[in-house]
Amino acid sequence: MKLGLRLWILIIVLLLSLLSIAPWKMFDKGVSIKSVEANSTAFNQGLKQGQTIEFVDGKKIDTLSDFSRIISEKNFSSNNSMKTVIITNQGEFILFSDSAPEITVSELPKSNIKTGLDLSGGSRALVKAKDKDLSASEINDLVDVVSNRLNVYGISDVQISSVSDLSGNNFMLVEIAGATPKDLKDLISQQGKFEAKIGNQTVFIGGEKDITSVSRSGQEAFIETCQQAADGYACTFRFTIYLSEEAAKKHAEITKALSLNTTQQGRYLNETLDLYLDDNLVDNLLISEDLKGRITTQVSISGPGVGATQEEAFNDAEENMNKLQTILITGSLPYQLEIVKLDTISPNLGREFTRNIIVLGILVFIIISAVLFVKYRKIKITFSVIMTMFSEAFITLGIAALISWNLDAPSIAGIIAGMGTGVNDQIVIIDESVSNRHISIKERIKRALFIILGAFFTIIAAMLPLFWAGAGMLKGFALTTIIGVTVGILVTRPAFANIIKKMEE
Amino acid sequence: MIEENTQSKQPEKKDENPLTEDLSEKPAGKLKFNYDKHYKLLLVIPVIILLASLIYLGIFYSKNGDIIYRDVSLSGGTSITINGEINQEILEAGLRTKFPDVSFTKLEDITSRKEIALIVESSADSEELKSEIESILGYELTDENSSIEFTGSSLSRDFYRQLITALIISFILMSIVIFLLFRTFVPSAAVIFAVFADIAIPLAIVDILEIKLSAAGIAAFLMLIGYSVDTDILLTSRALKSREGTINARIFKAFKTGIFMTLVALVAVLPAFFLVTGLPDSFRQIFLILAIGLSADVLNTWLTNASIIKWYCEKKGIQ
Repeated sequence: MKLGLRLWILIIVLLLSLLSIAPWKMFDKGVSIKSVEANSTAFNQGLKQGQTIEFVDGKKIDTLSDFSRIISEKNFSSNNSMKTVIITNQGEFILFSDSAPEITVSELPKSNIKTGLDLSGGSRALVKAKDKDLSASEINDLVDVVSNRLNVYGISDVQISSVSDLSGNNFMLVEIAGATPKDLKDLISQQGKFEAKIGNQTVFIGGEKDITSVSRSGQEAFIETCQQAADGYACTFRFTIYLSEEAAKKHAEITKALSLNTTQQGRYLNETLDLYLDDNLVDNLLISEDLKGRITTQVSISGPGVGATQEEAFNDAEENMNKLQTILITGSLPYQLEIVKLDTISPNLGREFTRNIIVLGILVFIIISAVLFVKYRKIKITFSVIMTMFSEAFITLGIAALISWNLDAPSIAGIIAGMGTGVNDQIVIIDESVSNRHISIKERIKRALFIILGAFFTIIAAMLPLFWAGAGMLKGFALTTIIGVTVGILVTRPAFANIIKKMEE
Repeated sequence: MIEENTQSKQPEKKDENPLTEDLSEKPAGKLKFNYDKHYKLLLVIPVIILLASLIYLGIFYSKNGDIIYRDVSLSGGTSITINGEINQEILEAGLRTKFPDVSFTKLEDITSRKEIALIVESSADSEELKSEIESILGYELTDENSSIEFTGSSLSRDFYRQLITALIISFILMSIVIFLLFRTFVPSAAVIFAVFADIAIPLAIVDILEIKLSAAGIAAFLMLIGYSVDTDILLTSRALKSREGTINARIFKAFKTGIFMTLVALVAVLPAFFLVTGLPDSFRQIFLILAIGLSADVLNTWLTNASIIKWYCEKKGIQ
């Protein structure tokens, strides 16, 4: 049987979808680099996000656990530089460092299909300014600051975008795949207005204008002391920051006017350097006498961490230090923010859901096939309907993979519902073409197409408003439905009509 | 309102049958007369059900200040899903006093029927609810063992308002498409009326079943608009555009095709409906509402719309 043009189009589109989905990726071995810490050894040697690590020190890396095992076996310790040879799909990289490569890795994706947060796990926050409507450009500035902040803090695999809704509100949408950082809420919404004051005069504030650099490791950033306190333990962190010339001069001017105080610990100035974060006092530092009136660019910052056990207090101090460093580097957010929606989805439950959805999909497929066979009693017709239905779902998935759409549960519901409408249309084609035999098959198909086009336009019209309602949270549902029915109209339905016409002739 | 519950559900089942019998025996010529004589009577049944639904929704609105029960994503609050088998009784006893509006849903695995998670919902803030659950269960809730979804109350109000707006816009756009398609008033209005009933009746049923609608649930109503209209288009175009056989024969032929279409659509959504648990809530609601809506559509297309079309054809002398 000669295949018509329409069938060829269907076959080509199916092949393209297969290329787009790339299911053979599940056989790929290795781990993928998710993020590389800026200015680290790994970064300087050219390791980049998206590369696939295949070998480390000549040992083959198949899975995530291979990678972590080999790295931990190397036993990195400070002051003892070691050589690490990393072979990726983009060449060989040789690292000399006393610490493990500053990268995060993840398993390779099994195909190009990406699943949404509700199926893969992760967090999502929708943020708006407190008591203020932000314009689109204000939101974009905000997105920049927050992206920078999350990067500096070391959170990888994060997507930040601005979204607007039906009533013109603008939001910032933060999506983080995988494990959720404990202090996500603070990192996103804390304004982070940092001020160092002596008396009521501001000496310097957070951000690159006043602070040229912040030490983050080694001798210049560490947990200093831990002691037993009233209810548990308390630790102190300390790190060095470098002030700009201007801020240093201001410091000199203000301290010049201060007098000396003699205490048991030594001689200090009579006022302290008070550190405020969002108008709350974090710590006050004694200023030693030799700093009086001096233009110094190097300032030591300290702060507390508490916990029930010493370990907890230590971790708390470390976390507080990291957070404060992040804020000092990135500066404060221009507005007070409010998290209006915060979802953290467990990856474990997401896996369970995904499995159940796949079972459901197969079940729906089998039941529809059975019903069709019972009705038409013809293998040929039943098979064509089923193949068309399968093609539609498959092409929709292919397009979703192509545009990197994250398929969430509503999106998949849209695909299944789309399969339902697809089958409906084919029933119309079959019934129109096998009846009324006295008019030409062309005319019969034309009539069927009128009904199908009518149904197509109504479903598009009905789903369109969902693109904007509710800050686009249900966009996926509308998108997959519209893709599905459009694929139906343009590709699969004409091909199916062709098959039926051939059977009739 | 319980009476109305049974009222609006039973006729739906009963009345499909007379029509089926009527029409399937029509080729024998026996009951053809009956349909011709009583088809206007058939119109009364869906109209009564629609009216009952609208009255129910009206009473519901005056009692609750809203036409549906909203879940926390649309009313504001927290939903915490705890993985694993959780003792609901202990949790409920511990939470009830502090969070009087707390509610629970169990999730089961599709194949093994094993309980995979428990969902706890309340209008409370996520931190409060989380720490209370942690103290009752005696372990910390992390993203390994739980999911937490929080929606602020002003945002959820906004979401809700927008989804309702979207539903109305969707309905208007659908109406425009239908008018453009048929370009005659009565048949177009008949389709639009049937779609309106397709939304109103399921809304009442959802309220009677005390289902709390989520954002995805309302989105499903939008889809229902597009999903249910194809049988109406099929009917109208067969009745008006072709000239083969009598009007009854054409309606009957459309019915045979259409009822099978609805059946297939139903078997596509029913598995998710029966295997209600173990799927994301958004997923379950979409299929639940499509299932209810498609059932209502059988009534609205083949009693309401068909009767109006037949009546219209009689008036216009279309044979």
